[in-house]
Amino acid sequence: MPNSVGKRFKPTKYIPVSTAATLLVGSTTLFFVFTCPWLTKVISPAVPLYNGLVFLFVLANFSMATFMDPGVYPRADEDEDKEDDFRAPLYKNVEIKGIQVRMKWCATCHFYRPPRCSHCSVCDNCVEDFDHHCPWVNNCIGRRNYRYFFLFLLSLSAHMVGVFCFGLIFVLDHRERLGALHTTVTLVVMCIAGLFFIPVMGLTGFHMVLVARGRTTNEQVTGKFRGGVNPFTKGCCGNVEYVLCSPLAPRYMLDPRKKPHVKIQPPFIRPDLSDRQITIKVTDNGIHSTVISSKSKSSLDGLDDKETQPPLPPKADRYNQLKSQMTSSEDSSLSTKTHPSTPAMYKFRPSFGTMPKVQYHTAEEKIVMSDDRKPSAILEEGVRGHDYRSEPNLDLPEYANAPLHRTFQSSPLQLDSDPINSRSLSLKQGHGRPEKGQLPALQPRTVTSTPYKSVFSPNNLSNRNGSLSYDSLLNPSISPATASECMAHHGVPSVGFHSPYLPTKMCHIREPDIQRQQVPPTYSPVIPPRVVGRHSPHLRDRDPSPVRYDNLSQTIMASIQERKEKEEREKRQIHRGRSQTHIYAQDSGVFDGGYGLPTNAGYPDGPRGPGSRGPTPPAYGGSRDNLMGVGLVSYGQRTPVLRHAGSTLGRAPRTSSTSLHTDQSSINSSQSRATGPEGPYRSPAHQPHSPAMPRSPSYSHQKLSYISAHERTESPRLGGSREAMKVNGQMDCHPSAQGAALSPSRHSNVKKVTGVGGTTYEISV
Amino acid sequence: MLNISPFSYGLIIQQVYDNGSVYSPETHSLQDLQQPAVSSKVFIQRDYSSGTICKFQTKFPSELESRIDKQQFEETIQTLNNLYAEAEKLGGKSYLEGCLACLTAYTIFLCMETHYEKVLKKIARYIKDQNEKIYAPRGLLLTDPIERGLRVVEITIFEDRSIGAALLKTRLGSTMVFISFMEIKSL
Repeated sequence: MPNSVGKRFKPTKYIPVSTAATLLVGSTTLFFVFTCPWLTKVISPAVPLYNGLVFLFVLANFSMATFMDPGVYPRADEDEDKEDDFRAPLYKNVEIKGIQVRMKWCATCHFYRPPRCSHCSVCDNCVEDFDHHCPWVNNCIGRRNYRYFFLFLLSLSAHMVGVFCFGLIFVLDHRERLGALHTTVTLVVMCIAGLFFIPVMGLTGFHMVLVARGRTTNEQVTGKFRGGVNPFTKGCCGNVEYVLCSPLAPRYMLDPRKKPHVKIQPPFIRPDLSDRQITIKVTDNGIHSTVISSKSKSSLDGLDDKETQPPLPPKADRYNQLKSQMTSSEDSSLSTKTHPSTPAMYKFRPSFGTMPKVQYHTAEEKIVMSDDRKPSAILEEGVRGHDYRSEPNLDLPEYANAPLHRTFQSSPLQLDSDPINSRSLSLKQGHGRPEKGQLPALQPRTVTSTPYKSVFSPNNLSNRNGSLSYDSLLNPSISPATASECMAHHGVPSVGFHSPYLPTKMCHIREPDIQRQQVPPTYSPVIPPRVVGRHSPHLRDRDPSPVRYDNLSQTIMASIQERKEKEEREKRQIHRGRSQTHIYAQDSGVFDGGYGLPTNAGYPDGPRGPGSRGPTPPAYGGSRDNLMGVGLVSYGQRTPVLRHAGSTLGRAPRTSSTSLHTDQSSINSSQSRATGPEGPYRSPAHQPHSPAMPRSPSYSHQKLSYISAHERTESPRLGGSREAMKVNGQMDCHPSAQGAALSPSRHSNVKKVTGVGGTTYEISV
Repeated sequence: MLNISPFSYGLIIQQVYDNGSVYSPETHSLQDLQQPAVSSKVFIQRDYSSGTICKFQTKFPSELESRIDKQQFEETIQTLNNLYAEAEKLGGKSYLEGCLACLTAYTIFLCMETHYEKVLKKIARYIKDQNEKIYAPRGLLLTDPIERGLRVVEITIFEDRSIGAALLKTRLGSTMVFISFMEIKSL
């Protein structure tokens, strides 16, 4: 055989199939020639008839399995992958009946392999519903020929059984004349049948199980659905029916037929453009999704439509890309157009301000009322979208939407389009790229004449990838430099407001209901580890939390005032030797920041200490303040800066189960270190608290959590009970349930204070 | 240079060569064969949300926003989805076909068309019809997804402009245009 340039003739790949064919045909022929005549005479003519039919069936299925196209996909056109090629992520996720399935990019065939499709290296083709490549038939087994392969196995098994049995009858009957030709031949045939009996039966049984389960060999062997749910199953009966009775799938590798020539001549009919529309095309992982924003609230619909696209799961996609293509002719928009997102891990950073959301709504309303221009609507969308990002219950996938929104081009109607574009540019650039430094520079320009823009003070939209800074909303005077600094708590401008630059971890921590189980150990503080998903409906459904930060702070302030008074009373009592009060004094010191020193000295990891003490049950309750506190704690664990922040009012650190476990040991040690200065303030009375602590489920007392934290830190020293520390992940001082469990020494001086969220604190007075 | 201003120029075909003969341009008109340039292509991806059945996303792509109505497009895609569902339906017809094939040792496939193929022909006719009636007048062209392995529906968007005199993009098939004499003339 000549060796062509393209495909080399490999004789080795034909060996198994020729062996199989030879054995099959040869031994059956021998059987018919030598064994069947006697059987026909002795038993009945039905024997060869039956065997003949079965053999015919075997041959037919064998031929179909061998020669039938298994469902080969033709290579994709160049046009199809033009946009994807260099920046395409390796995987694309698609949801099938609620289960996320990954589609891999096939470099040979230039498309994302459909679910259940796999590339066969022997055939060098992607095959639909790829089962396996069978060497005995020298063909891939795929969607089109799986049925024939399965029937081949079944019929071959039946044939082998038949041949073996009838041969046995013959041999048993001719026992005495084993040397005769017929008997010998029959024996040989029986041996062949017996030899291949086990493998063939085994394979048949295996495929029967596969068919019943609705899996392919490939899926079974690679363990794709091990321990999981198979989205392709239709139930046992449904699967069997699908394999045996479904219509024969079409061939994809067709000869290039002559396409009907359709004449296309301009001029073309255009649809009515009733209102000016701006279309934005966002290409993401090859899925062309579109957002259409127009003049009215329909822009919202457009966004929603976009989000109902195949959602990307929170994990998996590492190269989420955003390519926005703007139809307006703004220069900035052009620059953004030529500025494709890098296939970095995350394009979207979460916005950290929980507060912003609260305030934001009002701002937003202002926008709506004051400016009804399209760009405002767009920006509103973007901002609002962004706003939703800053919710504490945010899950990372939603972050993706923020930049998407924000990369809306400005409409041609936008008079001062430049700032908007710069904003969008800055927002877009804010995705974890070093250009962040530009953001502050751009910011001042964004504050222009547009009325709603004043709401978006310089820091608003471009802090750390556009995360809205609640601080800036409240205090527009905050410098952009501050705003753009990562994770820097610069003494927190306003009491009760945590920095918007909480690290990702905290954001995760703040979403207990969604991603509790996702431990973000690898998350860098800067880049959100998870990629984008689209959960816009979720976003839209979220009601603004009833808790407003300014209110919260007032409550906190009120309770702090109360405590201060108590402290004074305690101080008086201290002189009388009531040691307990010291602790509270310290606590208040911690709380106050002004007292700062003992706290800081004694607790180098102070805020972190109590926080990390053991597993925090994810009973955040999802309330905003809980989440904030949680975020603060983990934040505190990272930077000493938070210490100050943490000691500020309202920034009660909270434990985060995920991020604090690892710190436990260090915390323990640090706490033991911190024991020293606290010596005089030890109170045995505190000990009973520690075991009682873990019970407290609620996290909603930010203000006093720090207090309880300190108590916790002391308790191990007091009692040397590390377990208490470990167990007590809860910052909560005194859940109301514990009121009765207080140590006897505190009996008369405990005052119950109702904190935010309805839980009660017990303050010793 | 020609001392004519304003000035526009183009190519005037003097002679046309085809299969060894040279003709005057009137006999081989190229105008009909000219097609507008392809502006871009949109790919409608498969919708896998209900499994591996053949179904395309009905989401209206933004590139077509200015070319065709959303309803029209969605109707086309929805009809295609229905047709594919009909092709893949596990019903009486498919049982019958399977049994018949088994009984005849699959030789029936040599003479008879399968159910799926029949529906595919129907789909091809439908697409052609849609192209002629709706899409071509709007400068769009639907490609039968079977040519892409039922993975995408490719929609070609043509440029909406008349052919420039200096630019000839033609689909001439076997005809070769040979401009034997070129004169730059002011038009």
